[in-house]
Amino acid sequence: MNPPASLGVLEEKEEEHLSTPILGPSIHSDNPQKRIQARRLRIAARPEGRRREVPGEYLDRKKESEEDRSKSYKQKEESRLKLAKLLLCGTELVTNIQVATDIREIHRRVEEEEIKRQRLEKLESEVKTSQDKFDEITAKWEEGKQKRIPQDLWDMLNTQQVHCAGLIEDKNKLISELQQELKTKDDQYVKDLKKQSDDICLLLERMEEQVKNVMKTFRQELNYIEKAFEVERQELLTSNKKKWEQALQAHSAKELEYLTNRIKKVEGYEKQLNKQRIWDWEDYNTIKIRLEQDVQVLEQQLQQMKATYQLNQEKLEYNCQVLKKRDEESTVIKSQQKRKINRLHDSLNNLRSKYAQQITQFQEENQSLTSDYKRLMMQFKELQKAMRHFAVVDDKQFREIWLMNEEEAKDLMSRALDVDRIIHTHHLGLPWTAPDFWFLRNVGPISQQPRKSATQILEEVLMQAEEEGTEETASEAESYLDLPKQISAKTTRKILMLLCDESGFLIESKLLSLLLPLEKNECYLLRLDAIFSALGIESEDDLYKLVNFFLKYQIYHSPSSQEQTSPMSALEPGEQTDLEGQEEESLVEGEPEEKETPPSPRLIHPNDVLKILKAFVMGLKKPRDPRAPMKLKCVQDNSKDSEYWEALTTVIPDTTQNLWDALYTGLEKYHLILTQRAKLLVENGSLEQQNTELQMLLQQYLDSQINSELQVPPTQVFRVPTK
Amino acid sequence: MQETLATSTLSVPSRSSVSTQDKFSTAGQTLSTGPRPPRHSIVPPPSKSKGWNSRTKFHQMRRTITEDTEWSLAIVPLLTELCIQHIVKNFQNNPLLKQLLPQHQQKVLNLLSPDLPLAVTANLIDDENYWRRCCTQRWPVCHVAKHGGSWKRLFFERHLENLIKHFIPGTTDPAVILDLLPLCRNYVRRLHVDQFLPPVQLPPPHGELSDSGSDVELEEPTTDHYQLGDLVAGLSHLEELDLVYGVKDCGMNFEWNLFLFTYRDCHSLAATIKACHTLKIFRLTRSKVDDDKARILIRSLLDHPALEELDLSHNLIGDRGARAAAKLLSHSHLRVLDLANNQVRAPGAQSLAHALAHNTNLTSLNLRLNCIEDEGGQALAHALQTNKCLTTLHLGGNELSEPTATLLSQVLTVNTTLTSINLSCNHIGLDGGKQLLEGMSDNKTLLEFDLRLSDVAQESEYLIGQALCANREAAHQRALNPSHFMSPVMAKGPENPAG
Repeated sequence: MNPPASLGVLEEKEEEHLSTPILGPSIHSDNPQKRIQARRLRIAARPEGRRREVPGEYLDRKKESEEDRSKSYKQKEESRLKLAKLLLCGTELVTNIQVATDIREIHRRVEEEEIKRQRLEKLESEVKTSQDKFDEITAKWEEGKQKRIPQDLWDMLNTQQVHCAGLIEDKNKLISELQQELKTKDDQYVKDLKKQSDDICLLLERMEEQVKNVMKTFRQELNYIEKAFEVERQELLTSNKKKWEQALQAHSAKELEYLTNRIKKVEGYEKQLNKQRIWDWEDYNTIKIRLEQDVQVLEQQLQQMKATYQLNQEKLEYNCQVLKKRDEESTVIKSQQKRKINRLHDSLNNLRSKYAQQITQFQEENQSLTSDYKRLMMQFKELQKAMRHFAVVDDKQFREIWLMNEEEAKDLMSRALDVDRIIHTHHLGLPWTAPDFWFLRNVGPISQQPRKSATQILEEVLMQAEEEGTEETASEAESYLDLPKQISAKTTRKILMLLCDESGFLIESKLLSLLLPLEKNECYLLRLDAIFSALGIESEDDLYKLVNFFLKYQIYHSPSSQEQTSPMSALEPGEQTDLEGQEEESLVEGEPEEKETPPSPRLIHPNDVLKILKAFVMGLKKPRDPRAPMKLKCVQDNSKDSEYWEALTTVIPDTTQNLWDALYTGLEKYHLILTQRAKLLVENGSLEQQNTELQMLLQQYLDSQINSELQVPPTQVFRVPTK
Repeated sequence: MQETLATSTLSVPSRSSVSTQDKFSTAGQTLSTGPRPPRHSIVPPPSKSKGWNSRTKFHQMRRTITEDTEWSLAIVPLLTELCIQHIVKNFQNNPLLKQLLPQHQQKVLNLLSPDLPLAVTANLIDDENYWRRCCTQRWPVCHVAKHGGSWKRLFFERHLENLIKHFIPGTTDPAVILDLLPLCRNYVRRLHVDQFLPPVQLPPPHGELSDSGSDVELEEPTTDHYQLGDLVAGLSHLEELDLVYGVKDCGMNFEWNLFLFTYRDCHSLAATIKACHTLKIFRLTRSKVDDDKARILIRSLLDHPALEELDLSHNLIGDRGARAAAKLLSHSHLRVLDLANNQVRAPGAQSLAHALAHNTNLTSLNLRLNCIEDEGGQALAHALQTNKCLTTLHLGGNELSEPTATLLSQVLTVNTTLTSINLSCNHIGLDGGKQLLEGMSDNKTLLEFDLRLSDVAQESEYLIGQALCANREAAHQRALNPSHFMSPVMAKGPENPAG
């Protein structure tokens, strides 16, 4: 962090490390002073280091990250690092003593061990030698026991004594040596104690020093940090002040501007005000003059009015008198009138009572009549029901009778025809063809043949149209049968389609939604059904009427509209798809129909459909009476029935009857002849019988005996008839 | 009350704004109420505070003034204050505190004398200020931080320690201590006793004999110290036990048997600590604990539910004791083990290393001033290669040399939990220093590495110091902003060799 300083610290530290073991514990007192000096140097060098450091590498290193940070932060960081270092060094300094004592202790222990070992060795050797000596002495005792000569014994005892003394002396020497050692150890202990107290003193000193130092440096650093903060604050303050002043100046300038503006405005307003005041004053004067004049005029008028008032008063007084007189008159009239009113009231009351009576009477009457009516209606309904029932029964009976008669007639007819056929084939030898009449196939009364409803027709038409797509030629004959008005199914269909497309408004919206999922044909059918029910078209005839009406309308209006509509219809988008199909069909079918329906239905403009419909409905309404068609139908039916029955009678035509008559006469003649012949034949027969009888007799005679007896037998004379 | 206190303690500079305000207000009142003596003289408060007396005197002096338009009731002492004074006066006989309102309680506590008997105050008063006054009155120096910041706890702990220190078995009545137990059982968490007095013997015959130090065996059965069992069993919150079986300030009466930790002491202590399940820290230093006693103690500590720190420094523990400690490591939640200044040698260190290799609790191991030598050092280094928990290791003064240094340098490259290693006072040598430097260059977590007086080259020591400095800075950055702690390390990398 602080290279020179830290290096210095390091050097100093290393000095210590070197010095402590070299100098030894005795010169320990020298060390702290050096250390203190070094520390002072280092502390002195610190601000320099910091000064050098600020622009130095520290900034460079953290430039990118630190640039935005403030000076105070830098100072704090710096101080932190420095203080950490200081604390570290201080603790090291203090613990150095402990380490030194540790190493001394270790050295002491090593030495102690060495000395102990030596002492033990010495003791052991001593024990060995003394044991030897002791053994020797004890051996000598044994020897001495064997000695008998006192001289020898004494000598020996002497030597023993000497030996023992030597032994004891050795031991004593050893003991004294050990005691000496103990004493030196005691001295050593005292020294050690002293040294330890010295060490502790030193430790305390250092700690105190350290505490002081740390306190000082902490304070210093705090001061530095504070200063840094102060400087920063100052800078901030000045910059803010500058900003503030600028803002203030700007503000005051603006204020001044506003003030001048305001003064100007005030002046202007004052001028205006003065002008206004003068003007108003003049105005006021003129108005005042005028009003005064008005007052004068009004006073004059007032005088005049007063005069007229007096005049009027007199007039009114006169009027009043007149009116009073009139009033009297009117009171007389009023009384008269009142009397009259009373009378009229009386009569009114009478009339009212009468009226009430009548009301009740009529109500009763009404009730009875309504009950009558109801009863009659019931009866009528019952009657109708009975009539209907009878009609049905009659119909049934009629039908049954019809059928019976028809069966009978048919039987007869078939017999006649059979006869005819037999006559033709057997008698005349002519080929016979069965006559083909419309009534032959008829079954049941003609009047009761089911009349098709419009919808059925529609269905058929639509079905046909579909079938026609597949088999055109086959259905053609039938389609003509169904459409006696000689309108092709195709045109009908097209017209109907057009109608369906154009008059959707007649259909209920609910139905439309229901129709959506259905097939196209069914859809058309239902829609048309709805349309027809709305239009009031019920039967086949109505439908054909409608179609005819369309065509006729087209013919009437074609000269005017055809030219207009044709290009339009060609452009119709809805029919565009149909156009191609129609064109093809018209190519195929168009030739035979061309004479009948020159104006093609597709030229009916869709816009005209509504007009046509309207006209049709108007036209249709006129003949629509509720019961007319029923009667008409009956009459028509009767004629048809009679026709039918008449036709039945003429099943064998007159020519054939004539033929039959001629044949009859011829045959009668033939019969006569035949009868004659028959008679003759009978005669012939009887003759033959006679003949045979005669022959038999002859034979008999011939066979008789007599013949043989005869000379000339008769058999030889004549030829005998053989069978 | 507050007012009076303020006036009475005007000279105390510690009271800053409140007291000065009070001062002003009272001064104003005295000025304004000066010329109104007659009513005021009726209520001379019977309290012992001087402020009131002086003021009443003042009023009595100005009694001649008859008219006072500015007289107000505010100066008359309130009935509550009078009551409070009475309560304070009779607190010993009738302790009323909990029934009072909080502000009144405060006033009472401020006025109570610290000399009140503990039987009254111990379980009644929780106020720190009162106990602070008690402490400062009794002891000139009080480190309240050492007692968890609680003055009450400090008071009771030191009081109890004092009693134990001066307990003489046989002569002192054990009830002296046991009577205190119900009063202090809830407040004592730490017991630091650095003196156990032996029973009193006849001094004259021993005074001469004891100098020779030869009669130890005669005295032994009689030198048992105070048995802690009953006391510790009563202290329900005891967490720390710091004992020194010795005598302080014996001066010229020195006898070896003053410093004797007997087997009976040992057994009773073992039973005591075994029974104390709340104990977290156990220290037994400078007590001549040898292998056998250490084994007895440690056996009782096996599977202890709470013990976290064991300090047996400055004893006579050898390899067997170390082996027992190693066993303890694997049978407890021990975090700190201190065996400094013992007689552990290579086999003991090897057994410790064996236990350490798979231990996950121990964070600090101190083997200072032992003699584990290279064999033990290598074993420990091997263990550290697998250990992931230890952060502090002190191997100062252990006769270590280069082989251990080479292994330790390998450990430095691998291990990421160690933050502090002390190898001072060893014979590492120049090559060993270089190898440690190599190992250090790959390490980013070590913050302290003491290599003083271990024959390492200055250059390598300096470079290791630089690396440590970088690591410290990185750790600081990491602590400041843990999200991107790699960047400062990278930024510092190139700077270190340049510096």
